[in-house]
Amino acid sequence: MNYSLTGPFGLAVLLILGACSRKSDDTSGGTDGPNSSSAATVNFVTASGVEMVFLPGGTFKMGYDRGNPDEAPAHTVELSAFAMDKTEVTHAMFAKVQLPNPSHWQDNEANPVERVRWRDAKTYCNERSLLEGLTPCYDEKTKEWDCDYKANGYRLPTEAEWEYACRAGSDQPYSFGNADRLRQYAWHDENARERTHPTAGRKPNRWGIYGLYGNVSEWCEDVYSADYYSKSPGTDPTGPADPGVDVKRVMRGGSWKSSADMCRASFRQGQRTGNTDACFYTDYCGFRCVRRVTADEVAALTKKT
Amino acid sequence: MQPTSTPRFHCLAVLSLLALNAGADEPTLRDQLGGSHFKLVCEGYVDQNWDLFVMNADGSQRENLTHTPDISELYPQASPDGSKISFMVDTGEGREIIRSAWVMNVDGTDRKKIADYARQAFWGPDSKVVAYLPQEYPKFNVIDYFTKGIMFYDLSTGKTTPHPNNENIRHLYNPGFSPNGKWIVATVHAGMGFSHANLLIEAHGDRVINLGIPGCRPTISPDGKFVAWGPGDHEVATAPLDTDADEPKVGDKILQVFDEKNKVYHIDWSPDGKFVSCSCGPNGKGDISQPKTYASASEIVGVYAKGWNIYVVPANAGAVHLDQPDPNALALTTDGESHKESDWFQPKK
Repeated sequence: MNYSLTGPFGLAVLLILGACSRKSDDTSGGTDGPNSSSAATVNFVTASGVEMVFLPGGTFKMGYDRGNPDEAPAHTVELSAFAMDKTEVTHAMFAKVQLPNPSHWQDNEANPVERVRWRDAKTYCNERSLLEGLTPCYDEKTKEWDCDYKANGYRLPTEAEWEYACRAGSDQPYSFGNADRLRQYAWHDENARERTHPTAGRKPNRWGIYGLYGNVSEWCEDVYSADYYSKSPGTDPTGPADPGVDVKRVMRGGSWKSSADMCRASFRQGQRTGNTDACFYTDYCGFRCVRRVTADEVAALTKKT
Repeated sequence: MQPTSTPRFHCLAVLSLLALNAGADEPTLRDQLGGSHFKLVCEGYVDQNWDLFVMNADGSQRENLTHTPDISELYPQASPDGSKISFMVDTGEGREIIRSAWVMNVDGTDRKKIADYARQAFWGPDSKVVAYLPQEYPKFNVIDYFTKGIMFYDLSTGKTTPHPNNENIRHLYNPGFSPNGKWIVATVHAGMGFSHANLLIEAHGDRVINLGIPGCRPTISPDGKFVAWGPGDHEVATAPLDTDADEPKVGDKILQVFDEKNKVYHIDWSPDGKFVSCSCGPNGKGDISQPKTYASASEIVGVYAKGWNIYVVPANAGAVHLDQPDPNALALTTDGESHKESDWFQPKK
């Protein structure tokens, strides 16, 4: 069913209501263990034409006690509802907000942008917010472009939001089951031929989100700290405070050059932001956006149609 | 008992004195530059505003050329005949900032705007044409490769014409003509089929040659026989490049200027090709608490770069280390007021 919606800022949103607990064609992988969620996801298209998935809030087990040291301890996290881009931000999406595309590979506008510095990703978020009449989350007048999590605009996902979306209710290293099925879901070092590929070219996870396991790794909002999980708050964690020097930000998900192990849902890495580099050569760094939105807001938008 | 080292010490002391005595007969770098008629123009951030500064080749008699507390002037380029300076002006705020290309006389008079939404103006060898890179999109972005195409502005007619291969030119920065007018040398980032490269672009045709050198910001020597560029964040260098050849190729490095801690950028040739200048300062990402500045890497035009100064080095010095006492390096500025993008010229008499 398709619904044409108009929001408070003239936002026209086309909602494509998925069936409750809509799943991708994947039905055989993963186990609905402790991370089992009753998520009723909703697909919709934003005013600027970007496909997103609404994820109701819930609790999940974040981290992995049998992974790398920085993935432990696994701990329960409760998250508010949010919406996430269905794919990584593509060349076409970047061009739509009139930003210079820094990507190494320029031959397909459906490819994810890469070589994106952390601040460039945040710039995109604000530009897309302005394009759609939303309130930008990032204050560009502050040194680190502080994030207003209450604003209704786009921002980078928190690390917890990213893992919640990637796990899609599974408590296993991959939501679809074993690593031998990874190539069906991700462009990574065994099948990517050392480059990026169109963003929806592999299977989505069970919540209908593409590319979380591969293609490009994705910036998150949080400062990276290897021991953060031992002191992380249980509700809507946003990462440790900015130490001010030698700051790394969290980058999640595998990329075209990642091993299967690096593509695991709980695998963590810290990456320097590239903000002091005129040319940021890391051609596996991309991102996707999220937006804070409640189930009531989605319902209200639905009623207006 | 250990054998004494006294005889060896005496020998070294005598050699040192001889060396000092020999050095006393040779003019210092400051002396050499002090006798020059050349000048340099650069940008600087003083009293919360960008202005252009002109100084002698030894750094003496530095003057604020523009003196415009409400206008930000940036990226000066002197015409080859030493009569005019092109520069950029930023007006407005945030996404509405408009960067414009201007020209004026070297004494700061007769300012004239030649284009809005323009980047990095540069001079044709006859000093009659000012070229510039149009902005990729109207909405402002500080990044240096935010450009699309090349335009040529004729100072005598006021007419602007596009490069014949304009549709295929994208994401260039730091352009400059070869003295023979045949080529435009520039860096491309994520454009024209290149991930990142330093290019020779035929000035009036569609040939494009990848110079095959890493880094950025190439500039051709006044005789057209050498290229200077920045191979990395902490080095600028020169090497042979015959721009009169059918297939110009870059040879082995001749000069390398290093600083292991600070960044070294923006190399430029003196009019006689005997010296180069460069900017050097700490790594950084700007300080947007300073008005009219941007958040990006320190070397980018308009980014506040505290601690950055202009240095001069002889072009035949071999290897020079700015982070060590070196007789082959002279700091022309020492106040660190975001002095960047120096350009040499010989004032027209």
